[in-house]
Amino acid sequence: MSTIAPQRRVAGAGAEDDVGGGGGAAILSAPAWPRSLAALVCHGLRQQRRAMLAWGIGFGAFGALMAAIWPSVEDSMTQLVDSYPAGLKEAFGIGQLDTVERYIDAEMLSVIVPLGLAFFAVRCIAQATVGAEDRGHLDTLLSLPVARRIVVIAAVAVTGLAVAAILGLTWALTWIAALLAGSGASATTLAAGFANVWPLAMAFAGLAALLAGLAHRPPTVTYVASATLVAMYAIDLVGKLAPAVESLRTISAFRYYGSAVQNGLDASHIAGLTLGALVLTAIGAVLFERRDVL
Amino acid sequence: MDAAIETDRLSKRYGASRGIEDVSLTVERGEVFGFLGPNGAGKTTTIRTLLGLLHPTSGSARILGRDSRRDSRAIRARIGNLPGDFSFEERMTGRDVLELFAALRGRDDLGLAPALALRFNADLSRPLRELSRGNRQKIGLIQALFHEPELLVLDEPTSGLDPLMQEEFEAVVREHRDAGGTVFLSSHDLAEVERVCDRVGIVRDGRLIAVEKVAAMRERAYRHVMVRFAGELPRSLLSGVPGVELPERDETTLRFRIRGEIDPVIKALATHRVEDLEITRPTLEELFLAYYGAQS
Repeated sequence: MSTIAPQRRVAGAGAEDDVGGGGGAAILSAPAWPRSLAALVCHGLRQQRRAMLAWGIGFGAFGALMAAIWPSVEDSMTQLVDSYPAGLKEAFGIGQLDTVERYIDAEMLSVIVPLGLAFFAVRCIAQATVGAEDRGHLDTLLSLPVARRIVVIAAVAVTGLAVAAILGLTWALTWIAALLAGSGASATTLAAGFANVWPLAMAFAGLAALLAGLAHRPPTVTYVASATLVAMYAIDLVGKLAPAVESLRTISAFRYYGSAVQNGLDASHIAGLTLGALVLTAIGAVLFERRDVL
Repeated sequence: MDAAIETDRLSKRYGASRGIEDVSLTVERGEVFGFLGPNGAGKTTTIRTLLGLLHPTSGSARILGRDSRRDSRAIRARIGNLPGDFSFEERMTGRDVLELFAALRGRDDLGLAPALALRFNADLSRPLRELSRGNRQKIGLIQALFHEPELLVLDEPTSGLDPLMQEEFEAVVREHRDAGGTVFLSSHDLAEVERVCDRVGIVRDGRLIAVEKVAAMRERAYRHVMVRFAGELPRSLLSGVPGVELPERDETTLRFRIRGEIDPVIKALATHRVEDLEITRPTLEELFLAYYGAQS
């Protein structure tokens, strides 16, 4: 049975890079980049669906626990917070723990969720770029008419959606638990607290994208980005505790994180972190395009 | 019409390490070109440089008339590539992989994939992680072929395939060529290259040392022959038979090399009682030595 008949035809609507030739016959051509991007993002989300559920349910269960126990710990919290040194309270952003939202902010949103999701974002980017390179998948993918910068942009888009989904699931489970426990949580205040994590996580996604344009091995990207994450957190913490080095906080992404539960969402900080993520991603995409795939 | 592949002193170095050096070759449209060399010779580096995965240190390449670096994406739309060690997301089934690749090629259908899956007896419903190396290789071949590309670039395409599937693969390659397509395949298997290729480029230590028609290579190539006779070895056997070289003999066994036609040898041997006969092709190393000998 003969099945093989090489064709010279246009592969899809909106095709780019079409070339004339071959006696006027149409030839196979690359699809428009939005179509490639959409296909890669759908693929990436399918690949991440288990991780999204695991992280979302994990954080959600933690949030639900905090919300559920709030009525029983509410009275003792004020006394507990009053006993903390002022510097410690400032360093960890602990204000009055007089509402369930502030309690969740102190327990989850000051350290665990931002650090965890920033690390998740780094892992997402590393897997889709240098991880795929390390496993040999990038050789196969880049045999297709896909621009390398689209691979990077898709990885960042998938990460953004995955982080948003995890935050959404965490918020939903926490709020439902608070509702059932009669904790009296405000859905919008909690939503602001969780939404505030997104730009911070994406800033580190951008950093990972930049590193993927420079390094070839997943551990390099993951370790360097994670070390930067921890270092920035430490700088921010030390800067809050020691006025002499407070100016150093400006180089830390955590300086622009703050507490949306206590102070509301800061549009300029969100825009700054998001812009930083975009700039880092753009530089990473250019570097990724120019380097060898080993 | 432009050549399918045209390289001009294409070189790739990895820091101080050698990749390929000054590779200049032309693959015409409609031919099956074999890229032959031992492991580590530079075959995969050449292919990866042509595909734009590696940026050349110097030199240039044109594929289907377009610059391999500047027009890489447009070129990749028109070719089908099977990487040396085909792998993709382990959780995906063959069908998932093909649907994704179809989308990334701007197609709404799977083209030839169903027919090719039948021919290669490939199971598209199982996740890649559950497939043997050979069965994964079949998925790799299908993804390289399903969109009916003008040029096939295949790196060690039959590795892991059983003999029946190797035959099927060779039939597919011939059909592709007969339909006007071009095939560039790398291999370290001399016999495979002889069976399917029109021309062969031989690469060693990163350099292209020869490009020949397969027929000419076959002429040049010798075979080792070992014959064991039932009785004592006849004295004048094979004297005067054309192409026989370097005969060695003991009491009952004769070893020699033969170039060109083997028919006169068989006819000469047939006059005696033969207990065993073994004909083997030279190894790649021997072939290279033969080439180097000819060059010097």
